[in-house]
Amino acid sequence: MPSSSQSSAPSALVPLCQLLAGASGRVHELAGAGAFRERIRELGLGESTMVTKVSGQSPVICRINGTRIALSHGAASQILVEPFGGAS
Amino acid sequence: MNASSAVSKTVGGPPGRAPVYALVGNPNCGKSTLFNALTGLKQKVGNYPGVTVEKKVGTAYSQHGQPMPVIDLPGAYSLAARSPDEAVTRDMLLGRRLDTAAPDRILCIVDASNLERNLYLVHQILDLGRPVIVVLNMMDLAAKAGVRIKVERLEKELGIPVIPCEAAHGRGLIELKLAMSRPDLPLPRHRWDIPSPIAPAVSELQASLLENDRKAPLSARAEALLLLTDQDSVRVAGSTPLSSRTTDILQSWKVRWEGQGVDWAATLVASRYDAIARLCADVLERGTPEQEGASLSDRIDGVVTHPVWGWLVLGGLMGALFLSIFTLAEYPMTWIDDHIAQAADAVKAAMPPGDLRDLITDGAIAGVGGVLIFLPQILILFFFIGLLESTGYMARAAFIMDRLMSRVGLNGKSFIPLLSSYACAIPGIMATRTIEDAKDRLVTILVAPLMSCSARLPVYLLMIAALVPGDTIPVGTKVGLMLLMYALGTSAAFGFAWLFKRTLLKGEPPLMIMELPPYRLPRVRDVILQMVERGGLFLRRAGTLILGISIVLWFLSTYPKAPEGATAQAQMAHSFAGQAGQLIEPVIRPLGFDWQIGIGLIASFAAREVFVSTMGVVFNAQSDADDTAPLRQALASARWPDGAPLFTPLVCLTLMIFYVFAMQCVSTIAVVRRETNSWRWPLFQLAYMTGTAWVVCFAVASIGRLLGY
Repeated sequence: MPSSSQSSAPSALVPLCQLLAGASGRVHELAGAGAFRERIRELGLGESTMVTKVSGQSPVICRINGTRIALSHGAASQILVEPFGGAS
Repeated sequence: MNASSAVSKTVGGPPGRAPVYALVGNPNCGKSTLFNALTGLKQKVGNYPGVTVEKKVGTAYSQHGQPMPVIDLPGAYSLAARSPDEAVTRDMLLGRRLDTAAPDRILCIVDASNLERNLYLVHQILDLGRPVIVVLNMMDLAAKAGVRIKVERLEKELGIPVIPCEAAHGRGLIELKLAMSRPDLPLPRHRWDIPSPIAPAVSELQASLLENDRKAPLSARAEALLLLTDQDSVRVAGSTPLSSRTTDILQSWKVRWEGQGVDWAATLVASRYDAIARLCADVLERGTPEQEGASLSDRIDGVVTHPVWGWLVLGGLMGALFLSIFTLAEYPMTWIDDHIAQAADAVKAAMPPGDLRDLITDGAIAGVGGVLIFLPQILILFFFIGLLESTGYMARAAFIMDRLMSRVGLNGKSFIPLLSSYACAIPGIMATRTIEDAKDRLVTILVAPLMSCSARLPVYLLMIAALVPGDTIPVGTKVGLMLLMYALGTSAAFGFAWLFKRTLLKGEPPLMIMELPPYRLPRVRDVILQMVERGGLFLRRAGTLILGISIVLWFLSTYPKAPEGATAQAQMAHSFAGQAGQLIEPVIRPLGFDWQIGIGLIASFAAREVFVSTMGVVFNAQSDADDTAPLRQALASARWPDGAPLFTPLVCLTLMIFYVFAMQCVSTIAVVRRETNSWRWPLFQLAYMTGTAWVVCFAVASIGRLLGY
């Protein structure tokens, strides 16, 4: 895991659905309704979580702390991540 | 252990009886495995998040052999319930349920490899004011992922016992049972401060809950906190409502905050996450994971969730399922059939002729035997579904199906209920409890019985047998017709879902998010146990309900006795059953059905497969030559009064189609009534399904007659 990100030079935010497969990032912001944001956080995808995208368009599968979460394309587009290494 | 921790007083559970434990935890944290290991009670172990929707109680034994009841609660990520099964968990823990008292102590199971996320639920549970034991499960996986947890530190911070364990390998269970056996357990310490703008509201609500709702002092605080974060309180049957005073206080605070622009829920949630983050910084050490890059699960997911391969895998699995139902099951079915015939012959040889002998052979043996024969197929279906659940594939299937389901306005979570409905609508409807959106859930319940359940199989098979002349039916014809019936029911389910989502129950489907459990080798033992359990349920139904109905039907078709010397046909017309059939004949006549089929349709309300045994009783009673003649031959010789054959190919086809659509199952009606908490929906379902059945059958019968069949 690339634990030292370039937090000093923030790269552009991308929605999780546009992150490349295999790339990692840090969750920066959650959009969408309150209940949706809360559920996302309960599943461990809260702000500043490190997320690795495993695959997919729909479903989008990503890995957080060793668990796999699947999201529909619509759900993934509400999660803005800061990619590591300026990927995507 | 920290018996000396100053603030916490100890609680010994109620005097005179053993403490009741509730087992809670996130989905997929090994809760069911721990429950089995603790209680030895066999229950369903599935990989699909939230498969545990029933109330499950087992008994664990303390070190001194004292029984301790353990209630297994549905998995939840938080106490802010989003779906009915989570609401059950919340209401049980808060003592809101009328049917069950709140547990004395709580076992909170945590996935150690994902501690941070799991602590959110733990944190809410610590607020409840009850003794808690935290079980750190899957310590081996945590070690593999490079996570080290300072257990003693965590114990000290929370002020309660924390037991590391690996439930799947039986490690740590003795330590856990020792902790559970302790006569006194410390209460957890509250280590987080409620944000200042919210604090006065919490104390005011707490006071009102104490005074007006008679809540326990400590759980009142937890309930007050929950009232403020519940986005849309899911109410389920059996939970007590709030007093109006408390509701008023809640409302007035919300209005005040809205005026000040305070986002109370977000503030509370954020402060909880802050407390958890601080705790994790203290007790967690992250090293390097053993394995980098794509794991085996990731590689499998690359194939099974692929836009093209995914569909092929799913289609292949479903094809294999249906193929094995119709080929593999044939051998045991022949065997059962032979033995039933032998049993009937043995009774005939041993007893003098008379009503009692007829009751046993034509009523009991023929009735139950006609249903028993389908047991092999039902077992295969249950085995397959259990196997797919156990490997973790089912959660993926739900996601693949989401793409399709979203076209008709449903989401992938409706897939498991609908697939289960192929076996039986009752577990299918109960599985809808994991669907978060109330409207989606209702639509799924409404269409689930359209999926051809295994109770229809006997009817389809009998009709196919009667439809195709000759003794052996080509496998192709059989499978083709069967697939046609399944396809008809499935497309009707999707069509009606689409219709309902656009008319009665409009609404956007929620965005789909789901945890995917890691793939694992299926635990064949658990799958078989589960299959046997479900098969046993079916057998018990055959042994009790269907046996009872067979006897009642035999009675209804034998009495009142026609005058001496009447033909069997006249006797049937004279009987109670014949009278009821004749009563509905004008309604079903346009479909090509006579009053004798009408008897079967009425009897099917008990369970669809009863149609087969009813036909056995109804038509065997008429064939006086050979009582044990196969039912198919009896049907082939059935005639209208004018001598025209009754079971023409067209009538057989129409009858099958009728069974595809019609709502003919009292048990399903009862379950829908319970799940929707009103008579409105089950009655609507009965009307729309049976109405559709009549209209479609009328169309098929009319077109068929026009074409000269």
